[in-house]
Amino acid sequence: MSASLAPECNEVKERYDNCFLKWYSEKFLRGTSTSDECEPLFKQYEQCLTKALRARGIDSMLKDAREDNRDNDAEHMKPRR
Amino acid sequence: MVKFYSSNDTYAYPFPAVTLAYFLRYPNPYSTHVLSTDTIARHYDAEKQQLTTVRLHLKRSKLPSAVLKLVPRSLLGASASGDTQSYILEKSVVDMRNGVMDTESRNLEWTGILSVIERQQFRRPTSPAQEDAKFWQGMEGAARRHGFLSFGPGAKVEDNGETTEVTSSVTLLSHVGERWKKRKAAEGATAAGAAEDDQQPQKMGFLKSWTTASLQRSIEGIGLKRAMRSQPNAKEGMKVVLQRMREGGLVAVLEGMRQDREAGLLTYGESKSGPPRRGGDGGAD
Repeated sequence: MSASLAPECNEVKERYDNCFLKWYSEKFLRGTSTSDECEPLFKQYEQCLTKALRARGIDSMLKDAREDNRDNDAEHMKPRR
Repeated sequence: MVKFYSSNDTYAYPFPAVTLAYFLRYPNPYSTHVLSTDTIARHYDAEKQQLTTVRLHLKRSKLPSAVLKLVPRSLLGASASGDTQSYILEKSVVDMRNGVMDTESRNLEWTGILSVIERQQFRRPTSPAQEDAKFWQGMEGAARRHGFLSFGPGAKVEDNGETTEVTSSVTLLSHVGERWKKRKAAEGATAAGAAEDDQQPQKMGFLKSWTTASLQRSIEGIGLKRAMRSQPNAKEGMKVVLQRMREGGLVAVLEGMRQDREAGLLTYGESKSGPPRRGGDGGAD
């Protein structure tokens, strides 16, 4: 599995990733899924990651980027296909 | 000012396998410079059978020396040789009902210098002949197509002749020399759609000898060349993952990832021997 940018989140990330792969390949791809069964594990992973992103100052960069990108999209990059 | 590049290709693997490989494509032998991958948001719409995923990749990267020459280092936060790390934001939507996956990756840093947006669309082919074949294959065919998806040690992708079409594009946009955040704010105050040409981009001191437009064109051109070079590697990386899936199922893919991750750690900071180290998306390496 790929590593987390925050080593302290690797364990919970791996648990979530395993759950996701199983759900994705066994249910989602077959069109038989009624809900995202891995959401509780994602919440744990997200909690760890949010803390890590904040500690590294990446959270604000992410937020800015996503806002800027929306503006860029509207301004310059209308879908071309 | 925008540069744009696009290409079409076909993977000799079924659509579900390709979408799975997309999520599992890092690390692979062509992308040992990808240091980490985190899922920062995920939403499943059960009614539409659509899965939306936002991921954040961290890549070890090197700025093109041509760009280093053009732009002062203080703007880049890179070392003298251009070594740095960069974050790539990736968004994807898998639409199982319609057999389409749309992806978009972009660099989060240096967007004042160059924004690189890579988009890919993967499609289940829908030619009448194939639809017909699927119909006649009936339940047996459906079961066989899904056979590779079991999460067991024996699970494999079978070569049943199904393919997936992919359209890739790269959009490059340089804002260098523009005080564009300010401009944007001004534009926000006026009515949408106001003519942009009214506001000439302003040059920064170090760019005085260049026209803003020619500098932007140069940087976009450098980015375009690099993006075009990286495309084959991105494709090879996907193919390695798909091949592993076909040979040994998810177990083989995960084992391969483990080895590639170790290889990535070992080569960290060392010379660039071995397979090309380029993953493909975001382009900000």
